[in-house]
Amino acid sequence: MAMRKVDSVFPKRKNANVGATVGKGHSRVTKKSKDALTETHEGVSSKATASLGAAASQPAALIASGNEDVYEEYDDMEEILRQFDMNLAYGPCLGMTRLGRWERAQRIGLNPPQHVKDFLERAGGNPECLWEGRV
Amino acid sequence: MDTGVVLSRKQADYICRDERYCLSMQRYKGQQYSQLYFFRLHTIRQNLLSRIQERWPSLPVCKILGLEEGQLCVVVGTLYKQMQLKPSILEEYSKERSVVPLATPSKFTHNDDYLIMEDESGRVKLIRDANLPSFYVTGVVVAVCGKEEKDGEFFVQEILEPGLPPQIPLRSAVSFDEEKFVVFASGLKIGGESTNPLELQLLLDHLTGHLGEEEEQSLSSQIVRVVIAGGSVDLQTSLSNGQPLSGKEQTKLVEPIRELDLVLTQLAAAMPVDIMPGPNDPANYSLPQQPLHRCLFPGASLYNTFVSATNPHQFELDGALFLGTSGQNIEDLEKYSEAEERLDFMERTLVWRHLAPTAPDTLGCYPFTDRDPFILEMCPHVYFCGNQPSYASRLLKGPSGQQVRLICIPSFQETSSVVLVSLKTWDSHILTFSANSFQP
Repeated sequence: MAMRKVDSVFPKRKNANVGATVGKGHSRVTKKSKDALTETHEGVSSKATASLGAAASQPAALIASGNEDVYEEYDDMEEILRQFDMNLAYGPCLGMTRLGRWERAQRIGLNPPQHVKDFLERAGGNPECLWEGRV
Repeated sequence: MDTGVVLSRKQADYICRDERYCLSMQRYKGQQYSQLYFFRLHTIRQNLLSRIQERWPSLPVCKILGLEEGQLCVVVGTLYKQMQLKPSILEEYSKERSVVPLATPSKFTHNDDYLIMEDESGRVKLIRDANLPSFYVTGVVVAVCGKEEKDGEFFVQEILEPGLPPQIPLRSAVSFDEEKFVVFASGLKIGGESTNPLELQLLLDHLTGHLGEEEEQSLSSQIVRVVIAGGSVDLQTSLSNGQPLSGKEQTKLVEPIRELDLVLTQLAAAMPVDIMPGPNDPANYSLPQQPLHRCLFPGASLYNTFVSATNPHQFELDGALFLGTSGQNIEDLEKYSEAEERLDFMERTLVWRHLAPTAPDTLGCYPFTDRDPFILEMCPHVYFCGNQPSYASRLLKGPSGQQVRLICIPSFQETSSVVLVSLKTWDSHILTFSANSFQP
């Protein structure tokens, strides 16, 4: 079972959907973006960013509309990391850390983008995949 | 007194190659089997792409979602066989409890089974003549050439399998003038009710050279290694029914292991021994089974000739690659597909380049994320399988000059036989022991 750390140090953002944080047996995440900027995102139009970092086998329809929970406070870096998660060429994302999946992709010759690894190692990107703890 | 001819046992260079099957550094983090299937598809697809180029150079290789109707193309994916007789946990809940099946089938094939091919993007049903589904099982990665029909099904014209992996040619520098043998035994079932301990003792005495005249002893001295391919103990698990056991019952329960340790100590004192875990041995259930623990064999593990191996087991003897299992992979293939002989299943696993394609679907398997240890990269020279109903052997020749000796090792408890393989000629023959007097 994935353990979620509820970050109580930072105040909750006002735009967070109240319904989403009430867990139905799962603890929802209010993971703060490590970004110092406090701009809020409300339902980011993902259609425009669906092609960020995508490989040839990536159908854009996958990121079209999802659960509202998924849109709680995330920034561009997290967006790129999520694109990496959803990319079919690197295999399923659930059950592995993002870095582990990146390294496996590197090892079997898929040439994953280097900036994803930099985000995970240096810029403090979320090490767990998008669906970790939610599924 | 004897003239005192001293016969020394032959030696062979042994390298154990079980690292890929070891789970010592793995920690289960809740991962699912999809990672294993992804790795399998990706690795075998890499191998297939070059073969596809040779076979169908003009046809495009498509993803399943990219299939267009009526266009002849090649698709690579994992096969899934939809079987109506396959036991499903959901059926236990949906069926009425009062309906008790008359007999539990041991074979789950049916004429209405069909194959579905799946890759990262989607799945498509394969249609062709009727014999196709009975040949394949879930988990095999193949390339198919054909076109999509109107109703979304894929009509298969030809199938391309990965084929035998490359084989390292045997070093010709090593002198094969002297005859050396490897003994394969399986299904000793020590502690079982129908096991004959006298025949086992006969086997031990023969292997260690305590039996017979100089002629038999010289045969024994040519045996360089014994490999026990699973099924070594038959524990009376009915004793452990959840109640706390008294001291006497505990001793009775572990008695077969003690006997096995005595047997192995005698063997290990005389020659190198490899022991692999089998289906009912005290090891983990899912493949790859980990080596039987040293503390089970307090006597035998003191010898450096004693090797506790994983299942599947891979090793090199004098440069020749040996690979084998205790039979679970072939038993599973037998349940879910059709073939004339067990050797056909073994040949198929080599051609599919995967030891156990039905893992993890119907065969227990550890959920690897970073590798699939059952994928065959190199072709072995000897491929064995234990706990089979009868002895069978075949020399398989591959298209690039590979040569594999396939061996089905019979269960010792039923047939009182072991298999000898010659390292010089790669012939195999069977050695049977009988404690009964000869009845013409």
